[in-house]
Parts: sequence; C-alpha cells; structure tokens
Amino acid sequence: MVSARLAAAARRAAAATGFLHPRWWLPTLVALAAAAVVWTLVARSNPYVLPALGAVGEQLTTQPGFYVENAAATLREALLGLLAGSVAAFALAVGISESTVLRRALLPLVVVLNVTPVVAIAPALVVAFGFGILPKVVVTALITFFPVLMNTTTGLRSVARPVLQVFRTVHASRLDVLWRLRIPSALPYVFASLRVVFPLSIVGAIVAEFSAAGATQGLGTVISVASSSSQLDRVFAAIACLAVMGSVLLLLVTAVERRVLSWHESQSGPS
Amino acid sequence: MASTAEREVAAVPDASHILVRSAGKTYRDGEQPTVALADVDLSVPRGRFVSVIGPSGCGKSTLLRLVAGLEEPDTGDVSIFGATAQQASAAKSIGFVPQVPALLPWLSVLDNVRVLDKVNRRAGRRRREAAGAATERCELAGDPVQLLTRLGLGDALAQRPGQLSGGMKQRTAIARAFALQPDVLLMDEPFSALDEFTREAVQLQLLDVWHETRTTVLFVTHSVTEAVLLSDTVVVMAARPGRIAAVLDIGLERPRRHGHLDSDAMHACEHAVRAHLEQAWTDVLPRDLV
Repeated sequence: MVSARLAAAARRAAAATGFLHPRWWLPTLVALAAAAVVWTLVARSNPYVLPALGAVGEQLTTQPGFYVENAAATLREALLGLLAGSVAAFALAVGISESTVLRRALLPLVVVLNVTPVVAIAPALVVAFGFGILPKVVVTALITFFPVLMNTTTGLRSVARPVLQVFRTVHASRLDVLWRLRIPSALPYVFASLRVVFPLSIVGAIVAEFSAAGATQGLGTVISVASSSSQLDRVFAAIACLAVMGSVLLLLVTAVERRVLSWHESQSGPS
Repeated sequence: MASTAEREVAAVPDASHILVRSAGKTYRDGEQPTVALADVDLSVPRGRFVSVIGPSGCGKSTLLRLVAGLEEPDTGDVSIFGATAQQASAAKSIGFVPQVPALLPWLSVLDNVRVLDKVNRRAGRRRREAAGAATERCELAGDPVQLLTRLGLGDALAQRPGQLSGGMKQRTAIARAFALQPDVLLMDEPFSALDEFTREAVQLQLLDVWHETRTTVLFVTHSVTEAVLLSDTVVVMAARPGRIAAVLDIGLERPRRHGHLDSDAMHACEHAVRAHLEQAWTDVLPRDLV
C-alpha cells in the first residue's frame, strides 16, 4: 500500500518536473518565437491593421489595474453564467433521462433555443434585463447550457445493460441506479462538455458586452470602445487578456477532471 | 419436451425447489416472432449445481433471465423456493453473474463486491435478522475480503477494474454475487470470454467457494466439459423452439479436480451429454451438416 503510494508520488513528481525538460518546452517556445517574428514583420508594414507587440505590452504594463479590473468583470459574468447554465443543464438532463414526459415536453423547446443564434438573442436580453450583469450572465448561461445538457443526457444513458441487470436482480431503487450508476457513468461525458463550455463562457460574456452598448465594464466593452477610436494596442491588450483567461479556465477544468476521472480510460496516458 | 416424471414434480409447489412450470416466451420484435422458449418445465432442488447447455438460440439465456426476474414469461410461471422471481429479487436472494463482468470502473475491487450492500438496504437488513434467528450464514461469503482472497484476488483489493485481467474481473463479479449470500446463483456463460487456461483455473475456484456455501446454482454454458466438470445435473436444451431435450445427472464424486478431466467417468458423462446435444442439433440442421 505504502510503496504503491510512494511510487505514485514519484510518478507525479516526474510528470511535474518533466515540464522542465527542453523536450517539453522547446517546441512550444520556438513556435511562439516564430509567431512573434511574423507578427512583428506584418505589424511593421501594416501599422493600421496590427499594432506592434511592444505597444501591446506597454498597454498591459503601464496600466495593469485597468485590465485586471475589466478582466475581473468579464470573468465574473462568465463564471456566474457558466455556473447557472451548467447546473441547470445537469438538473434538466437528470430530469429528462428519468421522465419520458419531461423529455417529450422540454427537449424540442431546448433544441429550438439552441439553434437560435445567441448573438441574435443578446440584444433582446439587454433590452429586457438592462445594462447590468444580468443579461451577460443569461447569455453566458444560454451558450453553456446546451453542450452540458446533451453530453450529460448521453452519459446518463451510457450504463451498460449487464450492469443494470445486476442492479435489477437486487431490486435497486431508481435513486440507487441514478446515484450509483448513471451519474458516475455520466461524469466523463460531463467533463468533456465542461472542457468545451469553460472557454466558451468567455465568448458568451464578450458577446453580451458587445450587445450592451452602454456597458461600463468588461473586456468586451474595452474592445468595442477602443476599436471605435482605432486604439489597436488597447484592443489587442484586451484580446491577450481574454486568451490568457480562456487558457487558465481550460487548464483548471482539465486538472479537476484528471483528479475526478482517474479511473477512466481517457486519463490513462501512454504507458 | 420434458418427460412426464418432471411434469409431476413440477406440479407440486414447494419451498425446496426452483420451479419453472410450462414457461413460454416469444419475442415479437423481428419480422417473424421467435419462440425463445416453448412450454419449459424445470425443477432444481436446493443446493444443487445445475448447468443448462445447448446450441445458440435455444433459449438458455432467456430461461435464466426468467428465473432472475429480468423478464416475465408469456405463459407459465417461475417460483424460487416458493416465492416469485420478483419477490426473490426484492429480498436480495438472487445472485446474478452476467456474461461480461459488469463491474463499476470507478470502484475498487473490494468496493465493487460491497456495492450491492448499499442498494435495497431494507431487504438486506431483513435477511440478516432472519438469518440470525434461523441458521448462521456461511462465514466465507459474509466476508468480502476473505471471499476475494479465496478467489485469488487478495492482492488486488484496492485495484480498479481497468487494471485487472479478464479472469480477475470475472472472479470479482463472482465474488460480488456470492457476497449477497443468495439463495440461488444465476450465471450466464460467465467464462465464455476467458482463455482456456484462465477458464480452468476460475472453474476450480468457483467450485471451491461453492463447496463452502452450497448455494443453488443455475449455470448457463455452451461448453460440454465445463457443464460436466461443474454440475450435479446437466440440462440439455434444443432450439427452435427453445425447449428442454434431456436432463442428465452427473454422478462424479466431489470435490472435483482437474485430474478428473481425463478420467473415464468424466468422458462417459461428456459423451452422454454430447449425444443428447447432437440429437438436439439434428432437429435443426439440414441432414448433410450433421
């Protein structure tokens, strides 16, 4: 037991320090450097299309507080929407997988809602909910809702028949089957959708900020205000913040997934 | 057709047998209805190891599912020591081992064996009380760790199913069924996916545990050798429509070992079973194939 745990710890340590090896970071670094060179060349010949990297960096370093504040506003909208959207989607998925009536009633509605472009709904939501945080949370929730719902529904149905039969031969209740079989079986599917919707939540927040012309905060607002006055360095500084936020969210959900789904095939690396 | 002698036994309802009485089952999902079982009678006394063997499509798995209460017969009925299949499963007195191990990949081997304790708790409590009053239950089956150790999984208690070989997974599934301390153990070709060596080892481990628990077993298989090695009684089934062609008692002494595999007595039993199986085949296949 102890030795197995030690071995696992050693493996984790090796995996962690593996990042330090040039084999791991060198290709990434070379690609980044190449991209920077191309950027600089394009920016030099087209200064009105692409700002110099230095100017973007200057934006970020001279007024970091401004960007942190606006990033925090966007992140708050994104995370609240994400939470509302995925919790609602998970609950509805459980509901429609347990009740045929509920599925027949709600699924067509949900599908119609999904095929309607959120970008088109956003202005209407701003009219309805004003320029505060609420329309942004609603748009983000809408955008994250459907992937989680569909994946969770599939996952809840993914329990193999023989397993269900074993549970039926001991008269397991529906709650037992749901709690001990369906939900654990659905987790890999839920996480697959979370990996999609965590970064997507930022898209939702930005789209909502674009639609709410009078919004005072958020990176989307920064981008639309700055681009209307041709402050390209500011636009790209905000975009850089968004890219970092999306990556961090993705890393976060992947790390949680690795812990929760250690039993699943998807987590067993090449051996 | 079942013999008249069996019919007479089947006519008496009692608490010491599993009885299948003129059970019929027809599936209507295809273009033509398939008669999976036609008028099947079977009687299994308590404590016996009974194998059901037959060509594919003879309804042996359907028969098992009827006894398990997973399906209802169209005609006739099933009683398990005086109770209906539904009552028996509600009382957690049926242990079921499907063809594939059907383990929960997120639980360790030990937790996979214990997981059924946590469902339908009321039946578990009732049975424990009844057991305390009447006879003491089998000590081996009551202790999952001991049970798994006996089945050769003592070192794998904390492992997840994904880390196990096919034989280890199936032994875990067998341990899960024994741990229920069921009145009847239903096994649906549990070893068919295992290689020859693994299968022989697991067969003997199954017999070893069974000797201590003496649970009534209904074991579906398509291997003549397996049926003869394990069973007290072999039920030979024929297809189209699914029916019982013969019921043969295996008089080999117990405990059985692999040494028995090559004995004349064993060969004689296998020969008898095979003869009945061939008879069942001739009813189905064109003459030149037999």
